[in-house]
Amino acid sequence: MKVLAFGEIMDGGASVFSSVAKVDADLLIVSFGGSIRIDNPYRYLEQYLLELEQLLPPEKIGRIEFDFKELDFCNSNGFYIIMDITEMLINTIGGPILVKRLKGDDWQQETLPILLNVDEPEIEARTTFEEFTDI
Amino acid sequence: MITQEELAATNISMRYDLSPKRNIIGDLSGLLGNFSDELIGAFYPKNVSKKANIVITELVNNAVVNSTDGDSKVILEIMVNKDLLRIKVMNTAKRSQYRKVRDHIKMINSAGDLRTLLAETIRERRKDRLRGGLGLIRLAAENKFTLSVGYRAPYLTVDSQIGLGGLS
Repeated sequence: MKVLAFGEIMDGGASVFSSVAKVDADLLIVSFGGSIRIDNPYRYLEQYLLELEQLLPPEKIGRIEFDFKELDFCNSNGFYIIMDITEMLINTIGGPILVKRLKGDDWQQETLPILLNVDEPEIEARTTFEEFTDI
Repeated sequence: MITQEELAATNISMRYDLSPKRNIIGDLSGLLGNFSDELIGAFYPKNVSKKANIVITELVNNAVVNSTDGDSKVILEIMVNKDLLRIKVMNTAKRSQYRKVRDHIKMINSAGDLRTLLAETIRERRKDRLRGGLGLIRLAAENKFTLSVGYRAPYLTVDSQIGLGGLS
Protein backbone atom coordinates (compact mmCIF):
# COMPACT_ATOMS: atom_id res chain seq x y z
CA MET A 1 0.00 0.00 0.00
CA LYS A 2 1.36 3.37 -0.98
CA VAL A 3 0.50 6.70 0.62
CA LEU A 4 -0.31 9.10 -2.17
CA ALA A 5 -1.12 12.30 -0.27
CA PHE A 6 -1.85 13.53 3.22
CA GLY A 7 -3.70 16.61 4.41
CA GLU A 8 -4.43 17.94 7.87
CA ILE A 9 -5.91 20.83 9.77
CA MET A 10 -3.93 22.14 12.70
CA ASP A 11 -5.46 24.05 15.59
CA GLY A 12 -3.49 25.34 18.54
CA GLY A 13 -0.47 23.31 17.49
CA ALA A 14 -2.36 20.02 17.32
CA SER A 15 -3.76 18.08 14.40
CA VAL A 16 -7.57 18.17 14.58
CA PHE A 17 -8.42 16.71 11.18
CA SER A 18 -6.55 14.53 8.74
CA SER A 19 -7.17 12.83 5.44
CA VAL A 20 -4.95 10.21 3.86
CA ALA A 21 -5.12 8.89 0.30
CA LYS A 22 -3.55 5.45 -0.20
CA VAL A 23 -3.28 3.17 -3.20
CA ASP A 24 -3.47 -0.60 -2.84
CA ALA A 25 -3.24 -2.30 -6.26
CA ASP A 26 -6.29 -0.99 -8.16
CA LEU A 27 -7.97 0.41 -5.03
CA LEU A 28 -7.77 4.03 -3.87
CA ILE A 29 -8.57 4.42 -0.17
CA VAL A 30 -9.28 7.91 1.12
CA SER A 31 -9.89 8.17 4.85
CA PHE A 32 -11.10 11.15 6.86
CA GLY A 33 -10.59 11.52 10.61
CA GLY A 34 -11.02 14.07 13.38
CA SER A 35 -13.12 17.23 13.22
CA ILE A 36 -13.61 20.04 10.72
CA ARG A 37 -14.60 23.05 12.79
CA ILE A 38 -12.67 25.95 11.36
CA ASP A 39 -14.17 28.69 9.18
CA ASN A 40 -11.94 28.11 6.18
CA PRO A 41 -10.65 24.55 5.78
CA TYR A 42 -9.18 25.42 2.36
CA ARG A 43 -6.43 27.27 4.15
CA TYR A 44 -5.08 23.88 5.22
CA LEU A 45 -6.46 21.44 2.66
CA GLU A 46 -6.16 23.19 -0.70
CA GLN A 47 -2.63 21.85 -1.17
CA TYR A 48 -3.80 18.32 -0.36
CA LEU A 49 -6.50 18.58 -3.00
CA LEU A 50 -3.97 19.79 -5.58
CA GLU A 51 -1.46 17.05 -4.72
CA LEU A 52 -4.14 14.43 -4.90
CA GLU A 53 -5.15 15.63 -8.35
CA GLN A 54 -1.55 15.69 -9.59
CA LEU A 55 -0.34 12.40 -8.08
CA LEU A 56 -3.36 10.30 -8.92
CA PRO A 57 -2.65 7.58 -11.50
CA PRO A 58 -6.26 7.15 -12.76
CA GLU A 59 -5.34 4.50 -15.31
CA LYS A 60 -4.14 2.19 -12.52
CA ILE A 61 -7.11 2.66 -10.21
CA GLY A 62 -10.44 0.93 -10.72
CA ARG A 63 -12.14 1.29 -7.33
CA ILE A 64 -12.52 3.96 -4.66
CA GLU A 65 -13.11 3.55 -0.95
CA PHE A 66 -14.09 6.59 1.12
CA ASP A 67 -13.77 5.94 4.83
CA PHE A 68 -15.61 8.42 7.05
CA LYS A 69 -15.78 6.25 10.19
CA GLU A 70 -13.23 8.31 12.07
CA LEU A 71 -14.68 11.68 11.08
CA ASP A 72 -16.25 12.90 14.30
CA PHE A 73 -17.57 16.24 13.20
CA CYS A 74 -17.97 18.43 10.15
CA ASN A 75 -19.38 21.93 10.40
CA SER A 76 -21.19 23.47 7.45
CA ASN A 77 -18.01 25.33 6.44
CA GLY A 78 -16.43 21.93 5.79
CA PHE A 79 -19.01 20.75 3.27
CA TYR A 80 -17.38 22.21 0.14
CA ILE A 81 -13.91 20.75 0.75
CA ILE A 82 -15.39 17.28 1.25
CA MET A 83 -17.34 17.80 -1.99
CA ASP A 84 -14.25 19.02 -3.86
CA ILE A 85 -12.14 16.04 -2.79
CA THR A 86 -14.76 13.36 -3.43
CA GLU A 87 -16.09 14.91 -6.65
CA MET A 88 -12.62 15.19 -8.17
CA LEU A 89 -11.90 11.52 -7.40
CA ILE A 90 -15.31 10.25 -8.51
CA ASN A 91 -15.03 12.14 -11.81
CA THR A 92 -11.42 11.12 -12.45
CA ILE A 93 -11.75 7.45 -11.56
CA GLY A 94 -14.45 5.20 -12.95
CA GLY A 95 -15.60 2.07 -11.22
CA PRO A 96 -17.29 1.22 -7.95
CA ILE A 97 -17.30 3.48 -4.90
CA LEU A 98 -17.50 2.07 -1.40
CA VAL A 99 -18.42 4.50 1.39
CA LYS A 100 -17.75 3.43 4.96
CA ARG A 101 -19.80 5.43 7.43
CA LEU A 102 -21.34 5.36 10.91
CA LYS A 103 -24.90 4.21 11.36
CA GLY A 104 -25.65 6.59 14.25
CA ASP A 105 -24.17 9.78 12.82
CA ASP A 106 -26.75 12.23 11.45
CA TRP A 107 -24.24 13.97 9.18
CA GLN A 108 -22.94 10.75 7.67
CA GLN A 109 -26.45 9.39 7.15
CA GLU A 110 -28.29 12.51 5.94
CA THR A 111 -25.84 15.02 4.51
CA LEU A 112 -22.92 12.93 3.28
CA PRO A 113 -24.94 11.34 0.44
CA ILE A 114 -25.80 14.87 -0.74
CA LEU A 115 -22.14 15.88 -0.69
CA LEU A 116 -21.23 12.73 -2.64
CA ASN A 117 -23.94 13.63 -5.16
CA VAL A 118 -25.55 10.23 -4.84
CA ASP A 119 -28.78 11.74 -6.21
CA GLU A 120 -27.06 11.56 -9.60
CA PRO A 121 -28.14 8.17 -11.06
CA GLU A 122 -24.69 7.41 -12.51
CA ILE A 123 -23.02 7.96 -9.13
CA GLU A 124 -25.78 6.17 -7.26
CA ALA A 125 -25.29 3.10 -9.45
CA ARG A 126 -21.58 3.01 -8.59
CA THR A 127 -21.95 3.66 -4.86
CA THR A 128 -22.38 1.22 -1.99
CA PHE A 129 -22.62 2.29 1.65
CA GLU A 130 -21.18 0.07 4.34
CA GLU A 131 -22.59 0.87 7.77
CA PHE A 132 -20.59 0.70 11.00
CA THR A 133 -21.60 1.12 14.63
CA ASP A 134 -20.01 3.94 16.61
CA ILE A 135 -18.49 2.59 19.81
CA MET B 1 -26.59 -0.49 39.56
CA ILE B 2 -28.06 2.34 37.50
CA THR B 3 -29.40 1.43 34.08
CA GLN B 4 -28.90 3.27 30.80
CA GLU B 5 -32.61 4.12 30.80
CA GLU B 6 -32.32 5.72 34.24
CA LEU B 7 -29.24 7.70 33.16
CA ALA B 8 -31.11 8.95 30.10
CA ALA B 9 -33.73 10.50 32.36
CA THR B 10 -31.22 12.89 33.96
CA ASN B 11 -32.22 16.55 33.97
CA ILE B 12 -29.42 18.81 32.78
CA SER B 13 -29.54 22.54 32.31
CA MET B 14 -26.67 24.91 31.58
CA ARG B 15 -26.37 28.58 30.83
CA TYR B 16 -23.30 30.37 29.52
CA ASP B 17 -23.29 34.12 29.48
CA LEU B 18 -20.20 35.62 27.86
CA SER B 19 -19.36 39.29 27.58
CA PRO B 20 -18.04 41.48 26.15
CA LYS B 21 -18.47 39.75 22.81
CA ARG B 22 -15.33 41.41 21.39
CA ASN B 23 -13.21 39.29 23.76
CA ILE B 24 -14.37 36.08 22.09
CA ILE B 25 -11.43 35.42 19.82
CA GLY B 26 -10.96 31.65 20.01
CA ASP B 27 -13.16 28.79 18.86
CA LEU B 28 -15.92 29.33 21.43
CA SER B 29 -18.48 27.28 19.50
CA GLY B 30 -16.08 24.34 19.40
CA LEU B 31 -15.26 24.57 23.11
CA LEU B 32 -18.90 24.74 24.15
CA GLY B 33 -19.99 22.11 21.62
CA ASN B 34 -17.33 19.60 22.63
CA PHE B 35 -17.80 20.13 26.36
CA SER B 36 -21.58 19.76 26.10
CA ASP B 37 -21.11 16.64 23.97
CA GLU B 38 -18.96 15.12 26.72
CA LEU B 39 -21.26 16.16 29.54
CA ILE B 40 -24.54 15.14 27.91
CA GLY B 41 -22.84 11.99 26.60
CA ALA B 42 -22.08 10.95 30.18
CA PHE B 43 -25.83 10.44 30.68
CA TYR B 44 -27.45 10.17 27.26
CA PRO B 45 -26.62 8.12 24.16
CA LYS B 46 -24.05 9.44 21.71
CA ASN B 47 -26.69 10.31 19.09
CA VAL B 48 -28.24 12.80 21.55
CA SER B 49 -24.99 14.41 22.72
CA LYS B 50 -23.73 14.71 19.15
CA LYS B 51 -26.91 16.50 18.10
CA ALA B 52 -26.29 18.98 20.92
CA ASN B 53 -22.70 19.44 19.75
CA ILE B 54 -23.77 20.25 16.18
CA VAL B 55 -26.51 22.69 17.20
CA ILE B 56 -24.28 24.49 19.69
CA THR B 57 -21.46 24.72 17.15
CA GLU B 58 -23.66 26.13 14.39
CA LEU B 59 -25.74 28.51 16.53
CA VAL B 60 -22.93 29.88 18.70
CA ASN B 61 -20.80 30.41 15.62
CA ASN B 62 -23.68 32.34 13.99
CA ALA B 63 -24.13 34.39 17.17
CA VAL B 64 -20.46 35.34 17.42
CA VAL B 65 -20.18 36.18 13.72
CA ASN B 66 -23.44 38.16 13.49
CA SER B 67 -23.53 39.93 16.86
CA THR B 68 -23.69 43.66 16.29
CA ASP B 69 -22.33 45.05 19.53
CA GLY B 70 -18.84 44.28 20.84
CA ASP B 71 -19.87 45.19 24.38
CA SER B 72 -22.82 42.82 24.41
CA LYS B 73 -23.34 39.24 25.57
CA VAL B 74 -23.52 35.93 23.77
CA ILE B 75 -25.80 33.64 25.74
CA LEU B 76 -26.23 29.90 25.39
CA GLU B 77 -28.90 27.92 27.23
CA ILE B 78 -29.03 24.13 27.13
CA MET B 79 -31.75 21.97 28.58
CA VAL B 80 -31.98 18.20 28.38
CA ASN B 81 -34.40 15.82 30.00
CA LYS B 82 -35.88 12.48 29.07
CA ASP B 83 -38.36 14.12 26.71
CA LEU B 84 -36.56 17.04 25.15
CA LEU B 85 -33.25 18.53 24.03
CA ARG B 86 -33.54 22.31 23.79
CA ILE B 87 -30.82 24.79 22.89
CA LYS B 88 -31.25 28.56 22.77
CA VAL B 89 -28.65 31.06 21.66
CA MET B 90 -28.93 34.83 22.05
CA ASN B 91 -26.93 37.64 20.51
CA THR B 92 -27.43 41.29 19.73
CA ALA B 93 -28.92 41.99 16.34
CA LYS B 94 -30.58 44.75 14.37
CA ARG B 95 -34.26 44.40 13.60
CA SER B 96 -33.36 43.90 9.92
CA GLN B 97 -31.17 40.91 10.88
CA TYR B 98 -34.02 39.49 12.90
CA ARG B 99 -36.38 39.77 9.92
CA LYS B 100 -33.85 37.98 7.73
CA VAL B 101 -33.46 35.10 10.21
CA ARG B 102 -37.22 34.97 10.77
CA ASP B 103 -37.88 34.67 7.02
CA HIS B 104 -35.15 32.05 6.66
CA ILE B 105 -36.62 29.93 9.47
CA LYS B 106 -40.12 30.40 8.07
CA MET B 107 -38.88 29.12 4.72
CA ILE B 108 -37.25 26.09 6.43
CA ASN B 109 -40.34 25.31 8.49
CA SER B 110 -42.63 25.48 5.47
CA ALA B 111 -40.42 23.34 3.23
CA GLY B 112 -42.14 20.08 2.37
CA ASP B 113 -38.93 18.18 1.71
CA LEU B 114 -36.06 19.33 3.92
CA ARG B 115 -33.54 16.98 2.35
CA THR B 116 -34.18 18.45 -1.09
CA LEU B 117 -33.97 21.96 0.38
CA LEU B 118 -30.59 21.14 1.96
CA ALA B 119 -29.28 19.53 -1.23
CA GLU B 120 -30.38 22.41 -3.46
CA THR B 121 -29.05 25.04 -1.05
CA ILE B 122 -25.65 23.35 -0.78
CA ARG B 123 -25.32 23.07 -4.58
CA GLU B 124 -26.55 26.62 -5.18
CA ARG B 125 -24.23 28.20 -2.62
CA ARG B 126 -21.27 26.05 -3.65
CA LYS B 127 -21.43 27.45 -7.19
CA ASP B 128 -20.56 30.90 -5.82
CA ARG B 129 -18.47 29.55 -2.95
CA LEU B 130 -20.76 31.35 -0.55
CA ARG B 131 -19.97 30.86 3.11
CA GLY B 132 -22.66 30.49 5.75
CA GLY B 133 -26.35 30.08 5.04
CA LEU B 134 -26.35 26.31 5.57
CA GLY B 135 -26.27 25.94 9.34
CA LEU B 136 -29.96 26.40 10.15
CA ILE B 137 -31.16 24.27 7.22
CA ARG B 138 -28.74 21.59 8.31
CA LEU B 139 -30.10 21.58 11.85
CA ALA B 140 -33.61 20.99 10.57
CA ALA B 141 -32.86 18.61 7.68
CA GLU B 142 -29.99 16.59 9.09
CA ASN B 143 -30.55 16.73 12.84
CA LYS B 144 -34.38 17.04 12.79
CA PHE B 145 -34.59 20.07 15.10
CA THR B 146 -37.59 22.38 15.15
CA LEU B 147 -36.42 25.98 14.90
CA SER B 148 -37.96 29.26 15.95
CA VAL B 149 -36.70 32.80 16.44
CA GLY B 150 -37.66 35.71 18.67
CA TYR B 151 -36.52 39.29 19.06
CA ARG B 152 -36.51 41.49 22.11
CA ALA B 153 -34.32 44.45 21.20
CA PRO B 154 -31.41 44.26 21.08
CA TYR B 155 -31.30 40.48 21.53
CA LEU B 156 -32.20 37.90 18.91
CA THR B 157 -32.93 34.39 20.18
CA VAL B 158 -32.74 31.27 18.06
CA ASP B 159 -34.50 28.38 19.74
CA SER B 160 -33.99 24.80 18.61
CA GLN B 161 -35.62 21.73 20.06
CA ILE B 162 -36.09 18.07 19.41
CA GLY B 163 -38.20 15.48 21.21
CA LEU B 164 -36.12 12.62 22.55
CA GLY B 165 -38.84 10.01 22.36
CA GLY B 166 -37.21 7.02 20.73
CA LEU B 167 -33.79 8.64 20.58
CA SER B 168 -32.50 8.15 24.09
